[in-house]
Amino acid sequence: MTNRRTRLLAAPLLALLALLAFAGPASASGESVGSCIAEKLEELIEESHGDLDEVLHELHVDTSIGDHFEKKCIEAPSPILPETNEIIWGGSAFLILFVLMVKKGFPAVRGAMDARAEKIRSDLDAAEQARVDAQSVQSDYEARLADAKTEASRLIDEGRADADQVRTGLIAQAEVDAAGIRERAASESAAATAQAISDLRAEVAGIALGAAERVVHASLDAEVQGRLIDAYIDEVAGTDG
Amino acid sequence: MNVLALEFPPISHLFEWPEIAFHGTFYAINKTVLIYIAAVVITAAIFLLAGRKTDSLVPAGIQHVAEAGVTFIEESVVMETIGEEGKKFMPFLTTMFFFILFSNIFEVVPGIQFPANSRMAIPITLALVVWVIYNYVGIKSQGLGGYLKNSLFPPGVPKALYLIVTPIELVSTFIVRPFSLAIRLWANMVAGHLLLVTFAILSHTMFTSGIVGKVGSIAPFAMLTMMTGFEILVSVLQAFIFTILTAVYIGGSMHPAH
Repeated sequence: MTNRRTRLLAAPLLALLALLAFAGPASASGESVGSCIAEKLEELIEESHGDLDEVLHELHVDTSIGDHFEKKCIEAPSPILPETNEIIWGGSAFLILFVLMVKKGFPAVRGAMDARAEKIRSDLDAAEQARVDAQSVQSDYEARLADAKTEASRLIDEGRADADQVRTGLIAQAEVDAAGIRERAASESAAATAQAISDLRAEVAGIALGAAERVVHASLDAEVQGRLIDAYIDEVAGTDG
Repeated sequence: MNVLALEFPPISHLFEWPEIAFHGTFYAINKTVLIYIAAVVITAAIFLLAGRKTDSLVPAGIQHVAEAGVTFIEESVVMETIGEEGKKFMPFLTTMFFFILFSNIFEVVPGIQFPANSRMAIPITLALVVWVIYNYVGIKSQGLGGYLKNSLFPPGVPKALYLIVTPIELVSTFIVRPFSLAIRLWANMVAGHLLLVTFAILSHTMFTSGIVGKVGSIAPFAMLTMMTGFEILVSVLQAFIFTILTAVYIGGSMHPAH
């Protein structure tokens, strides 16, 4: 680890040393704005066949030529591409870094991505399992609820049937009792009537005897007898009435 | 330009790109604009592809990038700085993070090698958008009077100190913030770009200067390779810093006590 760090720190140090040691004799690359404008002016002079006065006059009359040179020299030479040496060296550095990343970095990233996908997959599976379990519990609960409802319904029906049976029995019993009562009442009534008739006969006989005694005592003729009997019967009837 | 005997290209050549289309108009297109267009296209493509309906809920490929990005912004930015209320800013913050990241990352892509945010236009535009949003959120959450009072007269500060604190808060909250936000991003990308170009030119110059130079060029080239990796990190880090500071400003406007 320490060696690695030392090596990493050595690289910028070496770069700095290299800059100081070798920068001096290094050959030139690129161009300055001034040299660029000078080059453009030279081209213009060449086009004017070395007539400097004409060039100066032209620049004085048409200021856009100078502006154009300045713009051309300030802006990057290519509208898209950087300097060629920058592309080569920067591109190479990127390529090395890319290879390192492909070899070392991307597998780690890929591993992390796979681990993340796996975690999400297992989470989804767990959620699905939980959903299935919950559904099963719900189904079981619903089945039990349906059973309980059926059972309750059956018990209610049974209760209702028992109640009907009891009611029917009670009604039948009441009818029997009522019939008995009616029968007893009828027979008691008939006995009372018979008793009353018997009592009446006895009383009528008594009265008749009384009437007979009167007839005997008064020697009544048949007409008087008849009137007396009728009067007596009316009397009796009025008394009962 | 001669720097320590190195012929360095004019700085303007590294940042001033000629127009490619619509020359001379305000909507002229150059390399910087193309990089921004590419950043928009890549950001949109990632989320459109990741958002497609699939049979499986298990992410694969580009979905990992999008989901990890969204989770990162939610957990490390929004929940840390604003809280639950900040989730409504998730689309804005996530888009901004990826847009800045992809605008920066072209710094190391061979053949392009230019971070679009090393030009000031988009950083300052984004920063001004952020300025408008956090001020709007502050006024909406606390009312104009409450927002100004809490911003300029922070609670808990001894009254005598307001003489110093209030002008500082006025300048820092309402004037400096957007510029500091923009300049931080811009300057980092400029510095990174200059470093990479410097080491590339140094490597090239040394490599073309004889046998000693050829051997010695290994050092700047190693440095260039390391700096390329470092600049990838900086690209991500700067996108993150811009995004988290935006969230901090929004959170601060929403909850004055924080």
